[in-house]
Amino acid sequence: MAVWVPPCSYPEGGPRVSSATLILWCIAIILLIFSWRSGTETLKRGLELAWKTTRANALLILLAFIIVGFVNVLSPEELVTAWIGPNSGWRGIAASEFLGMFLPGGPYVVFPIIDILYQAGAGLAPVITLITSWSTQSLLTISFELPFMGWRFTAIRWGVGLAIPILTGAAALLIWG
Amino acid sequence: MKRVLSKYWVQTLLTVVICVLAGLAYARGGWSDVLAGFSSGFAILGRESLLLVAAFLTAGLLQALVKKDLITRWLGRESGLKGILLACLGGGLIPGGPYAYYPIAGALLSSGAGLGVLVAFVSAKNLWSISRLPYEFAILGGTITVRRYLVTFLIPPLLGMLVEWLFGSHLAAIRKGVQE
Repeated sequence: MAVWVPPCSYPEGGPRVSSATLILWCIAIILLIFSWRSGTETLKRGLELAWKTTRANALLILLAFIIVGFVNVLSPEELVTAWIGPNSGWRGIAASEFLGMFLPGGPYVVFPIIDILYQAGAGLAPVITLITSWSTQSLLTISFELPFMGWRFTAIRWGVGLAIPILTGAAALLIWG
Repeated sequence: MKRVLSKYWVQTLLTVVICVLAGLAYARGGWSDVLAGFSSGFAILGRESLLLVAAFLTAGLLQALVKKDLITRWLGRESGLKGILLACLGGGLIPGGPYAYYPIAGALLSSGAGLGVLVAFVSAKNLWSISRLPYEFAILGGTITVRRYLVTFLIPPLLGMLVEWLFGSHLAAIRKGVQE
């Protein structure tokens, strides 16, 4: 189910209510009820955390969506299809692992960028490699890892992890083609 | 200037990317393409605003409901395969970005957790993350999300066991390196 589509297919108007929006709001309301039942303190803290996260990431989200807008306008379908398209095979998986390391930011920043690449013609195996590489090999995350875990831990985890995105991409390629 | 850059380097990087893309758009179609890039970005952001509000609300409430000290207790006490599996569970459940889970992993490291447990914890946070699931599902759709979870499901425990087996004896050096 591709919930998120390029704006060219959007009708004019206000915010979109998709099935994902509805599901997420149901979850949020259930969590609101749970928080409220476990005390106003928990509810207050949850809302404060939500607001804090939103505020801390507002600028990043804005910048990421501007990137999404430009990628959408430039529509590099040919480039994406050539490098990480459905027929890009092993080269596409390797390119995705490399690209994934450099994707900066949290899920709300990175997933829209990955989605616009998928809409522009990236294959399933490269997309899975891309998500996995960004998850485990992100160079941005290392800047948080080094001070708390030291360079030895970081080197071991990151070094051994290098094989993971390629392996998951290969598995996806073998299973789903 | 240097301090501002080091504090906001992700924002700086994204701004540089925007400038490069804007340059490409200008080269292709002049100012109208540059304007189209910005307005397209704002339009998509506007479209997705309801979804983003729900996602942030969910993430914040989850953080308030899941008690961090409870997860710390589960992970710190156990060892071996049981510890690795518990670490995976804890990593999958714990919400928040690297600024939230690396301080916890660091605390576990100094309080006696094994190397395999820690790698399993970090890998499960990165690959199983329940709190990230809403974003992934909402933005990338069900097919990609389900298949991505399926092919990466076994990785956190396997990676934890592999690292424990290969590098488990380096734990003392790792711990000492962080304390110095």
